[in-house]
Amino acid sequence: MRNFFNKDTWIKPYLKKDKKLLFTAFGLGIVTIICSIGLMFVAGYLISRSATRPYNILIVYIPVILAQAFGTGRPVFQYLEQLTSHNWVLGVVSKLRQRLYMTLEKGADFVGERFKLGNLLGVLSDDLEHLEDLYLKTIFPIITSYITGIIIIILLGIVSIPYALFMFVCFAVILLVMPIISVIIFGKAKKYEKNLVANNYQNLTDATLGVTDWMISGRKKDFIGEGTKNDKKLAQSRNKVDHFEWNRDFALRSMIGVIIVGSIIWGNIYLNDSQSISNYIAAFVLGVFPLLDTFIPVSQAMENWPIYKESVNRLNNLSNTLDKEEIDNTENNFDPNKINSISMNDVSFKYDDDNSAILNNISLNVKQGQKLAIIGPSGVGKTTLLQLLLGSINPTKGEVKINNVKVTDLQNNRSNIFSVLDQQPFLFDTTIINNVMIGNEQATFAEAKQALSEVGLADYIETLPKKYDTDIDESGIKLSGGQRQRLAIARILLQDNPIVLLDEPTVGLDPITENNLINTLNQVLKNKTIIWVTHHLQGLSTMDEVIFLQKGTIQMDGSPSELYKNNEKYRKLYQMDQGIEN
Amino acid sequence: MFNKKLMTIPGIKKLIIKISILAVIQAFSIIAEAWFLSSALVNAWMLKKVTASIYPMLFFFIAFIIRYLITRIENQITDNFSDKASNDFKKALLEKTFELGPQSVAKLGSGQLITIALEGIDQIKNYLNLIILKTLNLAIIPWIILVAVFFVNALSGLVLLLVFPIIIYFMIILGIAARKKSDQQYLNFSKMSNNFINTLRGLKTLKLFGLSKIYGKNIFRVSENYRKSTLEVLKIALLSTFTLDFMTTISIAIVAVILGVRLINGSVLLFPALFALITAPDYFLPLRDYGNDYHATLDGKNALDHLISILDTPSPKAQKELKQFKTWNQKSTLKADHLSFQYDKDSDKGIKDVSFNFTGHLKVGIVGQSGSGKSTMLNLLGGWLQPEDKTNFKINGEKTDSLAQFAWQKHLSYIPQNPYLFSGTIAENIAFYAPNANTDDIKKAAQSAGLEEFINSLKDGMNTIIGRGGRGVSGGQAQRIALARVLLDQREIILLDEPTAHLDIETEYELKQTMLPIFKDHLVIFATHRLHWMNEMDYILVMENGKLVEQGNPKKLLKQSGKYRQLVDEIRGEDNNA
Repeated sequence: MRNFFNKDTWIKPYLKKDKKLLFTAFGLGIVTIICSIGLMFVAGYLISRSATRPYNILIVYIPVILAQAFGTGRPVFQYLEQLTSHNWVLGVVSKLRQRLYMTLEKGADFVGERFKLGNLLGVLSDDLEHLEDLYLKTIFPIITSYITGIIIIILLGIVSIPYALFMFVCFAVILLVMPIISVIIFGKAKKYEKNLVANNYQNLTDATLGVTDWMISGRKKDFIGEGTKNDKKLAQSRNKVDHFEWNRDFALRSMIGVIIVGSIIWGNIYLNDSQSISNYIAAFVLGVFPLLDTFIPVSQAMENWPIYKESVNRLNNLSNTLDKEEIDNTENNFDPNKINSISMNDVSFKYDDDNSAILNNISLNVKQGQKLAIIGPSGVGKTTLLQLLLGSINPTKGEVKINNVKVTDLQNNRSNIFSVLDQQPFLFDTTIINNVMIGNEQATFAEAKQALSEVGLADYIETLPKKYDTDIDESGIKLSGGQRQRLAIARILLQDNPIVLLDEPTVGLDPITENNLINTLNQVLKNKTIIWVTHHLQGLSTMDEVIFLQKGTIQMDGSPSELYKNNEKYRKLYQMDQGIEN
Repeated sequence: MFNKKLMTIPGIKKLIIKISILAVIQAFSIIAEAWFLSSALVNAWMLKKVTASIYPMLFFFIAFIIRYLITRIENQITDNFSDKASNDFKKALLEKTFELGPQSVAKLGSGQLITIALEGIDQIKNYLNLIILKTLNLAIIPWIILVAVFFVNALSGLVLLLVFPIIIYFMIILGIAARKKSDQQYLNFSKMSNNFINTLRGLKTLKLFGLSKIYGKNIFRVSENYRKSTLEVLKIALLSTFTLDFMTTISIAIVAVILGVRLINGSVLLFPALFALITAPDYFLPLRDYGNDYHATLDGKNALDHLISILDTPSPKAQKELKQFKTWNQKSTLKADHLSFQYDKDSDKGIKDVSFNFTGHLKVGIVGQSGSGKSTMLNLLGGWLQPEDKTNFKINGEKTDSLAQFAWQKHLSYIPQNPYLFSGTIAENIAFYAPNANTDDIKKAAQSAGLEEFINSLKDGMNTIIGRGGRGVSGGQAQRIALARVLLDQREIILLDEPTAHLDIETEYELKQTMLPIFKDHLVIFATHRLHWMNEMDYILVMENGKLVEQGNPKKLLKQSGKYRQLVDEIRGEDNNA
């Protein structure tokens, strides 16, 4: 636990922010509890005192006022407390969100590959919500209960030491012992259930995504069996926890019963001197009842700590890994218009946790304006090659250079040197024109429109009701795969960088759309240096050079016409691709 | 927040009876608890010795214990019920998924189905746990307490009775406004949260355009705006809790003051006054409980509605089952007449009046532009969609209305662009259609599908775990595993949906060499864009806008300058001059 807090950078620092607001929230929470106890206390005193039949109602004037004050105060303070605590927590979450963003920003190029977690981003976003809950549902109620508990003990200590000691022991059980036991039991169960849940997720994914095969296999029983495989074990574990929870709550409530009986006995013995003192017995006893609502939930508030802890751990690990990644970018005065060539010199690359290198001794040299295609099976390292060219990862051996400067030293200029077109371009949830303008925020509307017309989208956009201001994901309008790519190309045109990297931009498109897209690319990127990763031969004839990657090395290399003439394998592949009978 | 469909869950009536009985007992134990506590307090107030209160204290404690023991028992009974109900729901959901098949699953969204099966079922369970207990408690407990208070002190009873409708009135007025707002905010939240995730997904793109650092400020701004709007909403949304609390505490205060005044007058004694005061909070408790879990129950209710709507979706199913069809051989025939299907009543997306006739081990190519209806055809032939009524199939002369039946599907195998690999060993994946196959047969099938080299290169061979969480398998190998499945179970009909388009050209070439010999003794139905595959087919169906516009042998079709010729030219493009 201590170790955890020492290393933590996602909770601790934020508890020091906006202290005034934070303490106000705590204060209001404490006052709320005191009001609810006070109401019952005063009410008990009021009727006891009234039962002695004082000659004048003014005798109970103060208790009457207090009863009304506490009665009104409780809901009012609770209302204010909730607003204040939400205000503070949401403020912290805003900061956390920004922090998470900035942390991920450092590893933006490779986070996807590095963490091999498809829904990592969803998980991280959930983690932030967990932190929000941690504050609202755990930290706040616990701190207010603890402080109130201490205040009560001190006040009781003034009245009667034995009674205060008795209450102290009871409070210790309710506020300390039971919550700790709860955390231990819940932590254990969560740990055990975690694998089962993951496995369940796995099985259900297999069930739904593989439903075609299940259906034609006719194995209905197995299908349902797979989907519910872990349910029994999970139910058992959850049942155990549930039973604990029910028994615990029963025990805690019985504890309150003990406190009440104890209070009566104490009252009988210590407040027995005169009538005016015995008026307080009912006050003390009734004052115990609100504890049912305020102190018993503390154990519940602690239960989710194991979940929160996991979230906090994940965030801490993430920032620990990524904070190291900041590359020192030395070169700042680089003119992207004076690029002569980009070259790889005997480059090898190996991922930390892999045994063998994914790329081995690759050398290539692309002059400004040249067009290079790279072909190879999936997993051969084509994308890694592009990342090396971009400088977002460091080669294990060898160098990647633009002119004579290492590309990793040019990271500050990167967005002026390279444009990248991905398999599935990422479009932001905003208007068409805004998506294009991301390419160059200084561009004019006319320039953006020009880019869209060059990629052949303008005509289509003009037919839309809101034209260029149409939202990308607006209902009823769904851009096709080809259109999305065209939009991304327009973005690149605005960016107007000398080197364009194409990472299989036509994968998943039908051949007719693909042909058209390739033609457009050839037209609009005429004067750029192009490095194009692809998996088949469509459109290759316009390239200056083609490289076949196989098992991490260059297997075939040459211009398309040379290869067709001299390389039988290439010829065969080409004929198949074009459907030419031989 | 009560859902009518709840009453159809088996066992719910029994549960309601049990809980009702327990609630009545609980109400009486609350009364007993207040009663004995009051008498103990009166004794103490009258300065009697502690021994005089031993019995009242003992009985108070017993009543107190019984009261919470009942809560504990109620929890367990309800939990048993909702456990069983949610298990049944999950089974029903899985069964339905199996019957619906890939098309409907895709339409519902596989992610959503998984979410429903995991989180949705949990939410439903939670909902069941809360709703019955809280509703019944509210319906029973306050009223028994109220009667007791009336007996003991009618005026307090009157105050409590009058406050109840006032609370309800305010809750409704404020509640409606607040809930609308808080539901809206709930939407705002998902929107903002999605926006956040979306920006994180786009980080890579932002970085490529040199904008990523600037956007960090944007994130903070959006989040802060959300905080401000949330607070505005909370100010109103929390009002309903506030009213409930306010009316409760204030009426306790009022009761206390009224009682005080009447005690001074001497028109009431201490005992009934204490009794009324002690029971007052318990009188309001069920109402507060009911109001508190609004969002938890709302999620569960929505999940239940969603689940029931899925269970009510009609699944594709043949009315008339094939009885004579045993196997597909050289002489078998499949005849389709007026094969039609519409995805939506309002749009003409789908296929219309397609008729064809296949005999024996034919290789049929289905071609056409994207959106022309190729996949729909394949899905109808696989029996994953239910065709319109006018459709007629004849298999070996036997009539049927739909291929959505196991008698047909057990002869099929399906190889899509990305065959699904289950998490399990390679052997288990190959034996998916025939889980009882022996190792030798599996090996043989793997060998014929060209997997030998790949398997030998693995440390664990056929027992290597693949699929999610297992070793990655390349697209080409996945196709070979799917092929091995076909071979092992000796299925005679293969449906293929563009199996090689996404593979690199070398892998495609090698895979083709493996596939061609396998095709020879099968009925092959192959949807494709690739020219070389079209050349290998015996028969081509050309689709355009959901209609079958040309059919016949590809070589002959190529010579006519019809739709097929046109399509081939377009696919080949201008790029044939290397």
